[in-house]
Amino acid sequence: MHLKYESQLREPLVYGEKTYHQVTEDIIRPIEVKPSKLWYIGFFISVALLTFGVYCIYRDVTYGIGQWNLNKTVGWGWDITNFVWWIGIGHAGTLISAILLLFRQGWRTGVNRAAEAMTIFAVICAGQFPIWHMGRVWLCFFIFPYPNTRGPVWINFNSPLLWDVFAISTYFTVSLLFWYSGLIPDLASVRDRAKTKLRKHLYGIVSFGWTGSTKHWQRHESLSLVLAGLATPLVLSVHTIVSFDFATSVIPGWHTTIFPPYFVAGAIFSGFAMVQSLLLVVRRVYGLQDYITIGHIEAMNKVIVLTGSIVGCAYLTELFMAWYSQNKYEGYAFFYSRANLFSPYGWAYYGMMACNVLSPQIFWFRKMRRNVTVTFFMSVLVNVGMWFERFVIIVTSIYRDYLPSSWSVYYRPTIFELGFYLGTFGLFFTCFFLFSKYFPVIAIAEIKHVLKTSGESYKDNMGKIEVQQPEEFAHEYAH
Amino acid sequence: MEQKKHWQSFGEMNDSKAYRESVKDEFAEDLSIEKETGFLSTPTPRRDFLKYLGFSTAAAALAASCEVPVKKSIPFANKPEDIVPGVANYYATTYVQDGDVISVVAKVRDGRPIKIEGNELCPITQGGTSARVQASVLDLYDTARLRFPTINSNGKPTEATFEAIDKAIGDAMGSSAAVILTSTETSPSTKDAIAQFLAKHPGSKHVMYDAVSYSGILLANETTYGKKVIPSYRFDLAKTIVSLGADFLGTWISPVEFAKQYSKGKKINEKKPEMSRHIHFESVASMTGSNADERFLHRPSEAGAVAVALLNAVNGQSVSVSDAKLKAGIIKTAKELNANKGAALVVSGSNDVNVQIVVNAINEALQSGGKTIDWSRINNTRQGVDGDFAKLVDDMNAGTVGALLIHGANPAYTWCNADKFASGIKKVKLSVSFNSKNDETTQLCKYSIPDHHYLESWGDAEAKTGYFSLMQPTINPLFKTRQWQDSLLKWSGATTDYAGLVKTNWVKKLGSEANWDTELQLGVVSPKESGTPMSVIAGTSYNGSSVAGAVSAISSAKKGGKTELVLYEKVSIGAGQGASNPWLQEMPDPVTKATWDNYVIISPAMAKTLLDIDLRNGGEADSYEVNTPKKVVKVTVNGKSVSLPALIIPGTHPETIGIAIGYGRAKELGKSAEGVGQNMYPFSSLNGNTVSFVCPDTTIEKTDDTYKVALTQTHNVYTTPQGTRTEMMKEMSLAAFKENPRETIEDRKKELGPYGGLDDFEKQGTIYRPYDKPGIHWGMSVDLNSCTGCGACVIACTAENNVPIVGKSEVLRYHEMQWLRIDRYYSGDLDNPKVVFQPLMCQHCDNAPCENVCPVAATNHSSEGLNQMTYNRCIGTRYCANNCPFKVRRFNWADYTGADSFPDNQHQKWVGQLDAPVFEMNEDLTRMVLNPDVTVRSRGVIEKCSFCVQRLQEGKLKAKKESRPLKSGANNEWDVKVACQQACPTEAIVFGNVNDSKSAISQTRADNSLRLFHSLEQLHVLPNVNYLVKVRNTEEAEAKEA
Repeated sequence: MHLKYESQLREPLVYGEKTYHQVTEDIIRPIEVKPSKLWYIGFFISVALLTFGVYCIYRDVTYGIGQWNLNKTVGWGWDITNFVWWIGIGHAGTLISAILLLFRQGWRTGVNRAAEAMTIFAVICAGQFPIWHMGRVWLCFFIFPYPNTRGPVWINFNSPLLWDVFAISTYFTVSLLFWYSGLIPDLASVRDRAKTKLRKHLYGIVSFGWTGSTKHWQRHESLSLVLAGLATPLVLSVHTIVSFDFATSVIPGWHTTIFPPYFVAGAIFSGFAMVQSLLLVVRRVYGLQDYITIGHIEAMNKVIVLTGSIVGCAYLTELFMAWYSQNKYEGYAFFYSRANLFSPYGWAYYGMMACNVLSPQIFWFRKMRRNVTVTFFMSVLVNVGMWFERFVIIVTSIYRDYLPSSWSVYYRPTIFELGFYLGTFGLFFTCFFLFSKYFPVIAIAEIKHVLKTSGESYKDNMGKIEVQQPEEFAHEYAH
Repeated sequence: MEQKKHWQSFGEMNDSKAYRESVKDEFAEDLSIEKETGFLSTPTPRRDFLKYLGFSTAAAALAASCEVPVKKSIPFANKPEDIVPGVANYYATTYVQDGDVISVVAKVRDGRPIKIEGNELCPITQGGTSARVQASVLDLYDTARLRFPTINSNGKPTEATFEAIDKAIGDAMGSSAAVILTSTETSPSTKDAIAQFLAKHPGSKHVMYDAVSYSGILLANETTYGKKVIPSYRFDLAKTIVSLGADFLGTWISPVEFAKQYSKGKKINEKKPEMSRHIHFESVASMTGSNADERFLHRPSEAGAVAVALLNAVNGQSVSVSDAKLKAGIIKTAKELNANKGAALVVSGSNDVNVQIVVNAINEALQSGGKTIDWSRINNTRQGVDGDFAKLVDDMNAGTVGALLIHGANPAYTWCNADKFASGIKKVKLSVSFNSKNDETTQLCKYSIPDHHYLESWGDAEAKTGYFSLMQPTINPLFKTRQWQDSLLKWSGATTDYAGLVKTNWVKKLGSEANWDTELQLGVVSPKESGTPMSVIAGTSYNGSSVAGAVSAISSAKKGGKTELVLYEKVSIGAGQGASNPWLQEMPDPVTKATWDNYVIISPAMAKTLLDIDLRNGGEADSYEVNTPKKVVKVTVNGKSVSLPALIIPGTHPETIGIAIGYGRAKELGKSAEGVGQNMYPFSSLNGNTVSFVCPDTTIEKTDDTYKVALTQTHNVYTTPQGTRTEMMKEMSLAAFKENPRETIEDRKKELGPYGGLDDFEKQGTIYRPYDKPGIHWGMSVDLNSCTGCGACVIACTAENNVPIVGKSEVLRYHEMQWLRIDRYYSGDLDNPKVVFQPLMCQHCDNAPCENVCPVAATNHSSEGLNQMTYNRCIGTRYCANNCPFKVRRFNWADYTGADSFPDNQHQKWVGQLDAPVFEMNEDLTRMVLNPDVTVRSRGVIEKCSFCVQRLQEGKLKAKKESRPLKSGANNEWDVKVACQQACPTEAIVFGNVNDSKSAISQTRADNSLRLFHSLEQLHVLPNVNYLVKVRNTEEAEAKEA
């Protein structure tokens, strides 16, 4: 008597035959116990990096942008490269939480909380660059459209940088709301388990008095859907608009209509790589292998190989167009400044090609997709490659543009430029460490939706019965 | 009816006196504030609470909003008649430096000279200036100027009063003989003063000494023409100009004058395209050589042989030069010269008497005398003969010189045997220096009585026979200095001072004081008629008997070794006069584009053999270009050696190297000179009566060191593996232009064809509607044919627009701030390329890519076509700079000007440490040079060429006040000239209102429509600057070369 059909194709989303209680236990435990030594070491390093970053910004603000090695030809370098890179990183979070929610992808529940947190932190990091790269950052409020007494002087709505301001602030707001609204039921769980008064009080405040009533759940679900709907176009729009910074310019190598889709694919690509890097560490440190399963890793590797190939196609299309247009300026940017190993930045271009296009192809093999070590290595490689990509686009385009008289300005970062980048790593990981200490890194409520506990226990209890013939069962039942 | 009395209080009922008093006031209580206890100690009762609150709020608001301290400006008690605050006065005066004489007009704002312009009334320079003239105003405010007279006792200069010093010198000198040592002196009044001194001190003499002398020419002319003088050269009358290593556009004799003349032959009339032809023979790439239509390279030791060969070829004799290319060149040149007899000019930069005798013979053979060489007007600007000075040094060492009075000359630095001079001066009992800085010579002198700067002085100068230029002070002396002529007069017992002497002399000469006033206002006194040029000096005749001797002397001269060294003058630094001027130090050299250093110029061929750098190899060329550390080479001559970085400069002979003189100055000359480059004068040598700046036997070795050289342009060709960028730069040969004058226009038509063609491109090249341009629309035209790359415009722009100095270490990081740069491109043969200079400033695009990317609209377009920069609005995203296809926008990377709101942020050590000259420029004294009409930009904002908007505004207001349209060049009447245009000695830059069909700019564009192009026109950025195609007078129709 087979009352239940069990699919052989799909793996369970959560291993270990967890009960609801066990799930809560497993995920909230790290919040309630003292952090490990490893956590302290990591946290200390992050804060140290962050402090150095703050010092670098202090120098930048006090002494001027001359603290970086930008120059008359290369007006943007590491600053905007890092900005685009961090923004790209953030994309996976939104994609997982919003688009995969709409597509009812059950596996997202294991990774969405951490990925969303990553999005928030990455956007915070990204935002630092356009802010602090300004020559007169104390006047940064000039970029907001507000009634003023200066004329009034209005902002320039034609400028892609202004579009950036709107795109990124919207993106940040929606991502933050999404993340936080998802957190509320879980924070309530933490509150309910709290043993100290302070803890109860604080988690009580942040969980907004969640009681878990049906009405609450119903509203929560609707809100999630609405926010998912709002966030979905943002996944596409933010990087599209960031790419407009370049696409709408007149500089060969920037002035490219392919940029929007290419940037979005690249963003998702790097975002998933970053999620991989983080979650592989988290699942190991917190022992969450049952929740962040090899199935998750494989699914994300599939996204990586797909987006990596899209990006690769875009690279080749660019090269083709540079040839096909027969524009000498474009031609120079692509065939000399970039796709030429012996030009001053040839290494960056080929580094990008190797990391972004060639290496992800390894994920066509299932064995590789499911190998944690390979995945971790690859995820780092992809992020290095994506950093190269932004560097190649920004620097190799402007350092040799139209007039050769302004060319050949070699650009490498100063210690403070590098420090600013490291500082954002510090910021990112400081936030992430605090997040993993004080918030459930996996969406408890959502994972319970996909828990097959009932099925599993049914199997346990009914397994024997199921294989019995009805007569046998009737016989036993009668006795 | 009895009236009932209602009462409120017992007081009212009783109606007491006290009560009546108290109800008189509205408020029963006294106002506490009116009590005698004083304001501060008053209590605050309930009723006054609101009052106090209101008062204190208002006071706090007032105090808080008035954060700017009130600075009281004190008006003149008695306003000087001619000074209106904010309105500039212009005074005609004369720039005089070591013999150089340029008539100028000084712009004086509120008593401070802030800008030098050329005096257009001067028939010699016709308003032209050079970079050094433009920069001279900064020398006035040099912090390293000597501020008071000193007596040097035991190596320690101590301040002295003029009285004390006069007495001491008078006692020491008595009436004994003295030697007055000056650089070339052209002033008749000074000569008068010197004569008075010499008369008073019998046995005294006046010796003129020039750091880079023209003894060769002077002595050769003495031999062949009977007089030790330099004639006037007329490059404007020459159809064929042959220069044997004379850098006449940059440093040779009178470059401003020659550039003006030269450009006349280079301007093209499109209907009848003819040009002068310039053939240049040289060893090390020079600015003049770069401008030549054809250039031939030879070893410096062959200079004489080349001259002899040319003489032989001109005379139809056989030519014996080993190098086939050179030989062919000489024969061809001779043919051209002979074809243009009477309109040909041969000049030579050699300081060898024999070579100059041969050159004189060539010019005689070409009948240049009286045509392109005018002996009726003697050029007085170089008169020093090295032999005279060498004799003086010998006398000094022999102890026969009792007193030495030095003005202008600095032999302790510039003399080839400076040690001998130094030891000689120790044997001189009385040594006085009038030099205005504590230079190498002044340090050796017992007395120092610093001279005024020329902007503080009275005087006159006679650059050429009969052509006078007057000098008047534009500011009270800043320091306790005295004109040196005053000292001479005082010591010779004269009763008048020098100003009086000048005036007396001129009133006598001009007939009346009124005439003197008029002439002083005009600044120049010139002969009424131009006079007829003479083929020889009056009363003498050409004597060619010495030619044979000269030829044989040349042929027996020592042959050069494996490598030869040429010491040359830089356009900006000269013989060393510019070394203490930060503007000149930061001016990119026209040829090398290097700043703040001297270096070894080597040829690409030598680079390959010596340094293993092959510029023909893309990768090696790239790595040479992008890496600022350049390889250091060690140059040894006669046991003296110097280690300097090597720069590879095409157009240099493969076996020749060049190093600039004028560097390695004493630290007392100022922050800009200190530690910059190496002194190369010790490598020069005395050869008979002339100093030779060529070392025929030099060894050059590679070292393992590198040294960073601050170049502002590192890539030098506009040909790329993907095609030649003819959209940004166009050049062609005259032959090609004659063959198809419409080539440029056809090119443009082809390029713009798909987007509406030439006429409709503005409309069709965009999806937006074009906008109207009523009223004034500013435009600029730059003639690449006239531009010689001299850099006068660069310095003029710096001075006019308060462009900051950033110092070498910031130039190394490509942070230079100049608004106007001169791009220099090579084309053709790598070893001897064609060169073109392209001045590049903001193109003021009508569809500017920088404007629409600024998020805060800090840069926008004016209705007059200006691309405007609003510094106050700029937040410094640098997006505009990235999106500028011309890369003309400059960002303030650090607080270069001290104008920042963050105090004390210029001093830091780690990254981007600022050099001393930056601080030097921020001294109170130096800041007096700033133009008050132009904002000093603070850190973090973008700046760029504004088309001198302050001048445009002034010109418009002037026209408005007079209720007439603005004049921009119609009939040569100008309300507005921009700084670069005004400074340009070749009139390559024309600026004005393009909506006025009569304006100079409209005329220029109409007259040159065939050569007109806009750089990067195809981008549809619609620049308001246009260029005129560079046309080279070469025979080969190098079809749209490069």
